[in-house]
Amino acid sequence: MSGQPYRLPANVGSGTTGRILDRSRRIAFSFDGKSLSGHPGDTVASALFANGIRLVGRSFKYHRPRGVIGSGADEPNALISVGESGRHEPNQRATQVELYDGLVSKSQNNWPNLKFDIGQINSKFSRLIPAGFYYKTFMWPQSAWMFYEHFIRNAAGLGTAASEPDPDTYEHMHATCDVLVVGGGVAGLAAAQSAAAAGARVMVVDECARLGGLADSSSGLIESSPQTEWVQSTVSTLAAAENVHLMTRTIAAGHYHHNWCLLLERVTDHDPSLAIQGAPRHRLWKVRANQIVMATGALERPLTFANNDRPGVLLASAARIYVNRYGVSPGRRGVVFTNNDDAYQTALDLTRAGVPLARVVDVRTDPRGELVEEARAAGIEVVTGMAVTNVDTVAAGAKIQSVKVAPYKAGSRIGGREERIECDFVAVSGGWNPAVHLYCHTSGKVKFDEDLQSFKPDRSFDQITPVGAANGTYDLDGLISEASNTGAAVAKKAVGSKVKRSKSDRPLASSPKAGKLEPVWFVPATGALNEGNKHFVDFQNDVTAADLELAAREGYRSVEHIKRYTTLGMATDQGKTSNINALGVLTGALQSAIPQIGTTTFRPPYTPISFGAIAGTNAGNRFLVVRRTPPYEWHCENRADFEPIGQWRRPYCYPKPGDSRHDAINREILSVRNEVGLLDASTLGKIELKGPDAAKLLDRVYTNTFSTLKVGKGRYGLMLNEEGFLMDDGVTVRLADDHFLMHTTSGGADRIAGWLEEWLQTEWSDLKVYVTPVTEQWAQFAIAGPNARNVLENLDGDIDFSADSFEFMSMKVGRLTGYPVRAFRISFSGELSYEIATPSNFGHSLWLALLEAGENHGIQAYGTEALHVLRAEKGFIVVGDESDGTVTPLDLGLGWAVSKKKDDYIGKRSLERAYLAAPKRKQLVGLLTQDPQEVLPDGAYAVAELKDKPPMEMIGQVTSAYWSPTVGRSIAMALIKDGRNRLGDVVDFPLDNGKVVKATIVDPVFYDKEGAKQNV
Amino acid sequence: MSDLQFRSALSHRRDEDLPMDLCVSLDEVSDRAMIDLRGSLDDPKFVAAATAALGVALPAQPRSSSVKGDITVLWMSVDQWLVTTPRGSEQALLSKLVKRLGNTFSFACDVSDARTIIRVSGGDARSVLMKGTSVDLQSPVVKPGWVRRLLFAEVAAACQFVHSDPDTFDVYVFRSYADYVWEWLLAVARKGARVQLYGKQEPPLV
Repeated sequence: MSGQPYRLPANVGSGTTGRILDRSRRIAFSFDGKSLSGHPGDTVASALFANGIRLVGRSFKYHRPRGVIGSGADEPNALISVGESGRHEPNQRATQVELYDGLVSKSQNNWPNLKFDIGQINSKFSRLIPAGFYYKTFMWPQSAWMFYEHFIRNAAGLGTAASEPDPDTYEHMHATCDVLVVGGGVAGLAAAQSAAAAGARVMVVDECARLGGLADSSSGLIESSPQTEWVQSTVSTLAAAENVHLMTRTIAAGHYHHNWCLLLERVTDHDPSLAIQGAPRHRLWKVRANQIVMATGALERPLTFANNDRPGVLLASAARIYVNRYGVSPGRRGVVFTNNDDAYQTALDLTRAGVPLARVVDVRTDPRGELVEEARAAGIEVVTGMAVTNVDTVAAGAKIQSVKVAPYKAGSRIGGREERIECDFVAVSGGWNPAVHLYCHTSGKVKFDEDLQSFKPDRSFDQITPVGAANGTYDLDGLISEASNTGAAVAKKAVGSKVKRSKSDRPLASSPKAGKLEPVWFVPATGALNEGNKHFVDFQNDVTAADLELAAREGYRSVEHIKRYTTLGMATDQGKTSNINALGVLTGALQSAIPQIGTTTFRPPYTPISFGAIAGTNAGNRFLVVRRTPPYEWHCENRADFEPIGQWRRPYCYPKPGDSRHDAINREILSVRNEVGLLDASTLGKIELKGPDAAKLLDRVYTNTFSTLKVGKGRYGLMLNEEGFLMDDGVTVRLADDHFLMHTTSGGADRIAGWLEEWLQTEWSDLKVYVTPVTEQWAQFAIAGPNARNVLENLDGDIDFSADSFEFMSMKVGRLTGYPVRAFRISFSGELSYEIATPSNFGHSLWLALLEAGENHGIQAYGTEALHVLRAEKGFIVVGDESDGTVTPLDLGLGWAVSKKKDDYIGKRSLERAYLAAPKRKQLVGLLTQDPQEVLPDGAYAVAELKDKPPMEMIGQVTSAYWSPTVGRSIAMALIKDGRNRLGDVVDFPLDNGKVVKATIVDPVFYDKEGAKQNV
Repeated sequence: MSDLQFRSALSHRRDEDLPMDLCVSLDEVSDRAMIDLRGSLDDPKFVAAATAALGVALPAQPRSSSVKGDITVLWMSVDQWLVTTPRGSEQALLSKLVKRLGNTFSFACDVSDARTIIRVSGGDARSVLMKGTSVDLQSPVVKPGWVRRLLFAEVAAACQFVHSDPDTFDVYVFRSYADYVWEWLLAVARKGARVQLYGKQEPPLV
């Protein structure tokens, strides 16, 4: 047993010491750089115990030495960091981290090292850092918080974040089941068995690597055999069933409304080699369960006595679990301290395994349960009416030497003869709390049970039924009966099963009759001077009984306020071990009973889940949904600098080698103005409307009239919302009498299709129109510039592009170099311009054909920025730039597109409201900066009068501003109060950096005001 | 027509670039054309005309489809169907539809290039797809011909269960999303990430 001095021999006596351990193999791991060994089956916590390492971390606030307290999810102390660089993850419970070969673990919250930690000086000054110390100390002066925070953040906190990106993968999974059983212990398995037998689809999830829960460490027999034998055969039966899915290493993190459950499956944490084969590290399950059986068991609570946080004090259940399951002894000589019968099982198991036990200390004066008798019969020394009052330590508090034991009577001071018992560990039990967390996530109510001295489930608004220990049923036969009946009953609810059940369908069990528990919330320390004797309630956040009493003295009454003030239960363990003990302490401080005090709120997750799991598959190149246009490959091959527009990626510009973005944009603009440019406009929203009432619908949704439009012609339209504000614009073309093609903005494509459907389905169901979005069916390219017609005429086809035949704002259908196309003569640049649409799968090829045809005409692809500058030079608006949801067409000078004749259209009535019809609203104007080189920032504010510092009266803002290579200076558009009456005025734009830009208000058309360029 | 260069959304992805360790097979089905058909089942003239033109009855039941010969009709909503037909035959079919439908209130629109069909096939097809959708694909209602519009990997999609043995699903996504969805499927379909939900399993340790 070299190197593992606390490892016990296998199967000592009649028991199964080290039940799950594979002693034939050794596993090497490290803790704080020290090489250690364990066996398959070990957790980091059990392996550290085996190696004689008790000190595993420093506490959060006082930096006190801490050791392992528990054996599972409730562990508040033994938080470690596991893994290196990108795989480093802090704050893992050593009790749940399974050992694998090469595991690297580190302790946390200490500097320079665990044994000698500078921060433990906080302990000496603990009187200076009482409860609520943040609120008291750092409130003054208020401005200094930023300064204090830096030091506080460094001193507090737990582990550190990973230094590299996470190399592992994560994913989500959805599942549906009739019955979700949370917890794979005896109760959960019994419920699953009867639910599965009734024909339900059953999922069973358990957070541990093995099923069975506490079956291997609880008293009682099933069918006259050890509980693990029944567990083994039941698991085999369930695994063979077609309608059952068993999951281990899976935590039910949260329960949400309508029985939606979030599970976290730890797939590779126990064996990182699986990740190399493509397994995700964690899998987040989203499960919709018709019924949930909550078999989450119970959590043991510690006892509150002086220095109860010293390494070596651990839960009684954990002590026997380490012996039975992992074959390690928690120490050389122990004391069991209890207020209930269950801890006697620990005394019996330890004694059987040969772990020397000095005493069982029971606060009860006359314990009479069967286990008590059994312990006495086994020769274990039991003292009653006594309590452990303090712990003596060496090695700066890291090692227990002895405990003090004194007579105890609830409510009295400790008096009488005090005895010192030599030991190096103390197994404590203050009773068991049903793990009601899941039940409460959806506002399930709990009630206080006097026998358990704890809360148990009362009523829920969802289909969740607690069974077994989670329901406060600790007696084994009662537990199995309850679970088995519940499984059948909920299965019947879910699938309406008619399978008859008889009493013999469930296994019979027996367990020792337990005596009554005596609540103990606080054991006073002895002696006059109690300095330094802290009674810890919340170990992880270093909250003591004195802190809670202080909060009560300071006037806090609500337990929710006390929680926040003292930070009780707010650590990563969410108070699993501390919650009820804190309430117990408060009964004294607040002079009221626990049911009156109530409990704090349980919130998901039950234990922390990883961010990677939440992201799932949406990481790396799948982080965001990305939409590609048909010539996307060409854009990539031609150095497109992409910009996201909604989910689309559109080329912003195409820099040539050595080009800056600015160079590229200027080149692209000038090529459109002087020769010809090609734009991928495929993202443009396209919606076809067909039916006898299509024109009527368009007349209602646009401000202008479409019923008068001739077939083959297009018209620019403005769409308002009911409030009269501009929400979309675009050209709509009449394909036939009853058939239109609407173009929307790229961002509006889906929204406008939904908008039309909504009006048709909810308000105007009498209108006969079908609306079919066809954005994705068509690739669409703008070919713009003086040579545009020449390029198109260069290609074979049956469309006459001549000026006489193909008028502005009209469309033709035909073929272009063989490809079926819809050609539109429309312009967003002010140049001679066509848009050519072809089915998307021809898009890439037609794009290439157009570039080839334009080669001798100087054709260049241009991106969205050139597009924007080109339209701004012409004073064309962009919905979303010049409009922001508070702007009407009249504000933008687009009154010509608002019909005065139509009876009605969406937004008409709103436009007539006094506020929107008022003069001197903010109006669209152009701006010329006094310094022609200066480009105003987007959104810069214009002020009525310049002052030294804000506040200044704002009279408007810049909506678009660019460098225009066409006019050789900066240009801008802005919404300025009463702007159209202020042409020629100079306004001031004070910027963030203190600079003031002066600009003259002008007409927003900067280039080719008469429109000669497109009229060719 | 012969020298027209047809490029489906996933044509730039070559088979040899597919990872070897996938637990399902993934293919782009690019040889189907599609027609979006709108009309009312309450209008006997529309139903008769559509049936005559398509040669198969419109599926009236939600989440169903009908097949005859080369033509498949997927139910999309109470007044919408997606007709699929071999590429090359769509213009003739569309003309036939338009002619038969005449003046009935209806709309048949060629949307052949608007969507990409990704075929997911294999014993693990259901569980692979369930990584991206909350729809229960293991439900007994998922039989050959079953169709459902759903959110897959945060993207609007339609899903058709084509046939079993091996389980084969066609996932329809809008064309611009094809690459994203393909990448997504490559990530979740790795053999090492295989999920067997329900059925006989190795008993977990006790």
